[in-house]
Amino acid sequence: MADVMNVGVNLEAFSQAINAIQALRSSVTRVFDSLKDGMKNKETLEGREKAFITEFQDNLQSVNRDLKSTWFRNNLKVVINIPPTLKSSSPHPVPSINTLLNITKNSESLCVRLVQVSLGKVLKAIVVMRSLFIDRTIVRGFNENIYSEDGKLDIWSKSQYQVFQKVTDHATTALLHYQLPQMPDVVVRSFMTWLRSYIKLFQSPCQRCGRFLQDGLPPTWRDFRTLEAFHDTCRM
Amino acid sequence: MGVTCVCQVPVTEGKSVQQTVDVLHKKLEQLGAVKQGSFCVDCETYHATGNVTGQPTKLLYVMHNSETPLSCHALFEGGPCLTADGNFDVLMLKLKSHFQNAKGHKVECRGSRYRYCDFLIKVGTVTMSSSGRGISVEVEYCPCVVPGDCWNLMKEFMQTFLGSSVPELPSVFATKPEGLYAPADCVDTMNQYLELFNKLRKLQAPGSNVR
Repeated sequence: MADVMNVGVNLEAFSQAINAIQALRSSVTRVFDSLKDGMKNKETLEGREKAFITEFQDNLQSVNRDLKSTWFRNNLKVVINIPPTLKSSSPHPVPSINTLLNITKNSESLCVRLVQVSLGKVLKAIVVMRSLFIDRTIVRGFNENIYSEDGKLDIWSKSQYQVFQKVTDHATTALLHYQLPQMPDVVVRSFMTWLRSYIKLFQSPCQRCGRFLQDGLPPTWRDFRTLEAFHDTCRM
Repeated sequence: MGVTCVCQVPVTEGKSVQQTVDVLHKKLEQLGAVKQGSFCVDCETYHATGNVTGQPTKLLYVMHNSETPLSCHALFEGGPCLTADGNFDVLMLKLKSHFQNAKGHKVECRGSRYRYCDFLIKVGTVTMSSSGRGISVEVEYCPCVVPGDCWNLMKEFMQTFLGSSVPELPSVFATKPEGLYAPADCVDTMNQYLELFNKLRKLQAPGSNVR
């Protein structure tokens, strides 16, 4: 059946909203640019100050104007339409789903939060969360920098150590394993309990081969149920 | 910086220093280690002069490590140590009246630097006044900062190419309450090299001790 659910979105309203946001961004940038540039050269000090203040006021006014227009545009309504063929094929009358999403309200629950986890003096992890759902995670060594040059949490560059690159891979696998969309809190708890087992990353020998190292790496895998330590190749 | 262990490797019977070093290099390469340049650690000895009579003169060691080429480490015998800019050597010249350079006591350790996974291995020959005295091996496990945590792991790694001559946990770590390695400098490493240099000096040249 080629019935695909049509998501009827008012595309024009969307593009208007995006334009409004772009306008707001550029007017905000102008405010900071003019503050950064400082006073322009004029013959008298008074003239200089006056010109600067007038420019600043103008810039603020345009920010105000663009902000108002953004608020107005963002009260968008997204309508999801069920195709009529799907409606008629159903034995029961399907309630017409006219889900109205208010984008401005929903953006709150979609916002991304970064959780920084330090595990003893062993590792540091950054957990990227979208509302209560864990989106991705990156693990680095205790002595590694987790901030980028501009002072923000660096959520992209991988650890310089092979052992933590492996742990990052396993943590991503763990996120998929513990996935439970109905109970995001359980997911967070299970994942954190699992991550905690890395406190003995360098101290636990492999539960299968009994050795510490294999190909120069300690046992980086932790069983999802028993939390026992295994080398990547010993876990099969 | 991770956890570092410096130890002495005895010269194999019937072989020269260089031959023993070559065997170590070969073992490391067979393991999969990749050579990444060379390294050098040196140490100058100074006598503290102008002490109150009756007190034994203390020694000051000024050391350099190619791993931190812009720094200079000064270690006071049994006391504090500091890490300074390379200019510290010039300052020592100006402090001639307080610290006298014990000429002919310069110790140097040079050799190759290998990388294997997250391990950094340096195999060097120790020379004192241009005569070879022994072999040093430095192993650093970079991702870990607590010596007590990764010591068994390091020991297992060292056994793969050192065999039975694996050392015990370096004493510099045993005295630390938390065992946390100072990540910013390499004073703990320099202390271990100093200990090794002093050991080699006493071992083979009892008559020509610094004191």
